[in-house]
Amino acid sequence: MHIIVLMKEVPDMEKVRFDTEKGVIDRKSAGTEVNPFDLNALEAAVQLKESAGATVTALCMGPPQAEKSLKEALSRGADEALLLSDTAFGGSDTWATARTLAAAIGKIGTYDAIFAGEKTVDGDTGQVGAQVAQLLALPLVSYAESLCWEEGTGLAAVVSLWDGFYRKTVTGKGLFTFTKTANTPRLPGVRDKMKARKAVIPCWKLADLAGHLDASETGFSGSPTKVKRIVIPPAPQRQGQCYRDALPEALDQLETLLKSKHLLKEVEA
Amino acid sequence: MNPAHPSILIVAEPQGQQPHPVAYELLHKGRQLADARQATLDVLLCGTPGMETASLIHRGADRVYLMEDPCFALPEEQIFVAQMTAFLKELKPEVILTGATSFGRSLAPRLAAALNTGLTADCTDLHMDENGRLVQTRPAFSENILANIMTDTLPQMATVRYQEFPQAMPNPEHQGEVVRLPLPLPVPDTGVVIEKLRQLEVDITKASVVVSGGRGLKQQDDFAMLRELARTLGGEVGASRTVVEDGFISKDHQVGYSGHRVKPQVYIACGISGSPQHLAGMKEADVIVAINTDPSAPIFQVADVGIVGDLYEVVPQMIRRYGGTWPVL
Amino acid sequence: MKNREAVIEKMKSITGPDWVLTELEQTLGYLYDETEPLLRPKADETCLVVKPGSPEEIAAIMTYATESSVPVFPRGGGTGLCGAAIPTLPGIVLSLERLNKIVELDEDNLMITVEAGVTLEQLNAFLSKENDLFFPVHPGDEGAQVGGMAVENAGGVGAVKHGIMRNHIKGMEVVLPTGEVVMMGGKLLKNNMGYDLLHLMIGSEGTLGVVTKVILRLYPRLAYKGTLLISFETRQAAAKSVSQILKQGMVPLAMEYIDRSASQEAADHLGLTWPAEKGSVDLMLILEESTEDDLFDNTEKIVDICDANGAVDSLIAETGKEQKVILDIRSNVYTSFKEKAADAIDMAVPPAHFPAFLDELMQVVDQYGTQSPTVGHIGDGNIHNIILMVDGKLPDYFEEMRQAMYEVAIRFGGTVSAEHGTGRTRKAFMPLQFSHREIQIMQLVKRAFDPAMILNPGVFFDEPNGTESGLTGIH
Repeated sequence: MHIIVLMKEVPDMEKVRFDTEKGVIDRKSAGTEVNPFDLNALEAAVQLKESAGATVTALCMGPPQAEKSLKEALSRGADEALLLSDTAFGGSDTWATARTLAAAIGKIGTYDAIFAGEKTVDGDTGQVGAQVAQLLALPLVSYAESLCWEEGTGLAAVVSLWDGFYRKTVTGKGLFTFTKTANTPRLPGVRDKMKARKAVIPCWKLADLAGHLDASETGFSGSPTKVKRIVIPPAPQRQGQCYRDALPEALDQLETLLKSKHLLKEVEA
Repeated sequence: MNPAHPSILIVAEPQGQQPHPVAYELLHKGRQLADARQATLDVLLCGTPGMETASLIHRGADRVYLMEDPCFALPEEQIFVAQMTAFLKELKPEVILTGATSFGRSLAPRLAAALNTGLTADCTDLHMDENGRLVQTRPAFSENILANIMTDTLPQMATVRYQEFPQAMPNPEHQGEVVRLPLPLPVPDTGVVIEKLRQLEVDITKASVVVSGGRGLKQQDDFAMLRELARTLGGEVGASRTVVEDGFISKDHQVGYSGHRVKPQVYIACGISGSPQHLAGMKEADVIVAINTDPSAPIFQVADVGIVGDLYEVVPQMIRRYGGTWPVL
Repeated sequence: MKNREAVIEKMKSITGPDWVLTELEQTLGYLYDETEPLLRPKADETCLVVKPGSPEEIAAIMTYATESSVPVFPRGGGTGLCGAAIPTLPGIVLSLERLNKIVELDEDNLMITVEAGVTLEQLNAFLSKENDLFFPVHPGDEGAQVGGMAVENAGGVGAVKHGIMRNHIKGMEVVLPTGEVVMMGGKLLKNNMGYDLLHLMIGSEGTLGVVTKVILRLYPRLAYKGTLLISFETRQAAAKSVSQILKQGMVPLAMEYIDRSASQEAADHLGLTWPAEKGSVDLMLILEESTEDDLFDNTEKIVDICDANGAVDSLIAETGKEQKVILDIRSNVYTSFKEKAADAIDMAVPPAHFPAFLDELMQVVDQYGTQSPTVGHIGDGNIHNIILMVDGKLPDYFEEMRQAMYEVAIRFGGTVSAEHGTGRTRKAFMPLQFSHREIQIMQLVKRAFDPAMILNPGVFFDEPNGTESGLTGIH
């Protein structure tokens, strides 16, 4: 079995600073890390490798320094890693990203399943996995909370959708996205980490995807959605109103608040 | 199709035989967009035979395109996308809005990819600019920034956050048309076998309202009162460490440093003094309401609305006032 | 109290009526700390709780208390483990919670001035947002208040490199029992005039004065931090590795020892997973270096030493979240055993004696045919053993076994309490560690600060007998 795990390098969200006045995100202030949900996807793949035998390839699109995340993937059990990095890929929205990843997967050719995180913590869209699935005409299992494999049946995941939990079993190839509850990603062993730090990560550029991806399909020019403006809203302040011996007034204010959040079901005036 | 009237189309998700209520919120916003664009406000609803559609018309839909078939009984995005795509390629709406529920966030990207267009996720606001193009506002970077996004291709597609907009109010006078559509395609074999396992359980970390009880509760049974308030507001019940340790309620409900960290839209602390351990678990709630007899309780320092009073008087009044039932003693 | 009503009225006149709690349902949350329920003394339920808003109000309360001989029990976050915050006589519980402001961040002198009621969580959140400085002491529960951490001389994880509270406190504003407000120390790294009252106040457990402001030293955050989990099959192999690592001149931020049974219990309690699976005990080491290469060079050296001692696995956490999971589990060991622990012992010995000490300690435990889940700040020679309840009660052998354990520590040149304090639950063991004359001098010091003997009576020394007020003092 060959599993491709899609990964993204993201800023450490606990450390990113936002300048409310200038409207700037200071990405440099934070270190980068592997998108936490992608570690769940990787862990699911590595568990499958241990239980059923599989080869795991980590695939990441990003700037050259994103090879750090791929080394992290190697230290956590991936067998191979591949970086897609080219200035031509810069500025891709989810659609252009999905097309670039799908092109690379097309060039890799053989695989049995694609795993990805439920979403990334910076973009927070959760779209890329689903779009890759559509581009490759694969069944999609979103929000996998557990995964099992049975010889002759295929990969099965429990997902939470609509009003309950469903088991989705994919008999052939499929794309799965994983939630944080799917597993607990293992920590890298120190010796594995040392080895991965010295690994050489292959990198494909746009030219390497010739025949699979046209320049017009990736990067800023291949992106149908464009960010026009960014606003950094100030942190909300607590209203700090305190009511004593004034319950009716308190309940009035609370009602206004609940209504503003649409939490009251059509209480007619 | 009338090219003179572009279509703003809402994809409604089935919830049993009803449309999921996020569709009513999309009708509220969709009506504003349709008016600004002089467009018709349409809904596409796929579900099992016998879907209820009148509520969509009453809340402002000009047309409800209804596809009914048993193939829509399970949450299989591929089937929905295949059937919808065939129809939408004909209708060519200018805008497609989908509720950003789990299912919607999984379905819309496939649909956008199938229609070869862009998609903006989890929008919290939408408006038409002077050229009649859709400006989509969405939070990113863990809610720290708001980005305004526009789409170069058609249709302009967005998923919209649930419980962000009010529901369009029903007006029985509003006229609309239900257009029944046959399945455009045979039901494809998707290669996925789906079975339902069980209903959802309590997860206070996902609740939009958490009503929590603490030391101010005299006995275990009094949680019933908090449960009713939570039910009335569509939320879940939480608890402080003390009452969990006293065995009033299970640890699944504990909020705090050694319990769950919750970030609901509204957190209502009943008889909770607000130890640092507790505050660590709930201080990121959008709105904090505190009810406590002790005016010096630290919880009041983080509360948006503080009520100095006895929760046994305050909570029953809140329940009755906000649409629940609680006996008057 | 002879005249509870009069005390209430006086307190209300000082702080305003909102800040005086008199009903038990309101005061109950202020009567106990985190001391083991079977060991803690019973609190006096007639105590009132007062929440002053300024040092001046505290001064007025102390002046009145001294004049009227009303006991005062200062209270911080209530996270203590020696009963030092449990009011055992009728009196006033003085909560510092309203003194919760960060007063000044002095980035040039690497110091921060905070009010006593600022919690550790508040301090750490402020520092991680504002700048590249950090405060190293982490006693586990981030609800602890800085004032309480100062008078309890808290330690915890992270003391190997930077030390304990005593090493970071440069100055304190203190309200004396007689009502004067004094500033002890200042933003000074050297200060050699007279007796050092500041260091007498640190660790005084609320018996000498009420701390209202603290000046803390801060340290630049180094860019590369990693948490190592190194697993062994035996306690001895882990303990031996620690002294070898320290001897090589490597100084991790933290060096923790954790029985797997304890880490798994704590992980289950929090709904988390302890990352290590092989072996039966773990060392948890936090390294902090200025370059990534330094981090991995030291990591490799440490793992080489541990492997030579038979380590069975070594893992590294580098992301903030993964490191926090490990620290959170470690910090919650005590909480997770709360329903099973009769006592959590807090002994320390000179670090190099630790392996031999641990062997003898476990022989004592074996003699009683029981288990004692163990965690510890092993780099500091400080260990916490849990004596388990039997059928929800103190076991028959409890006193005898505990005494035997303490005697082992003393024989190794150790102490009964390394960081949790003496308070009300360990004062019986003062004679095990101190001579009669030393204890006498301590009592005289107490009287010098607090002539009416009103401040936190019952800590270190027994309460005077049979008096509600007008305490007669100790001779």
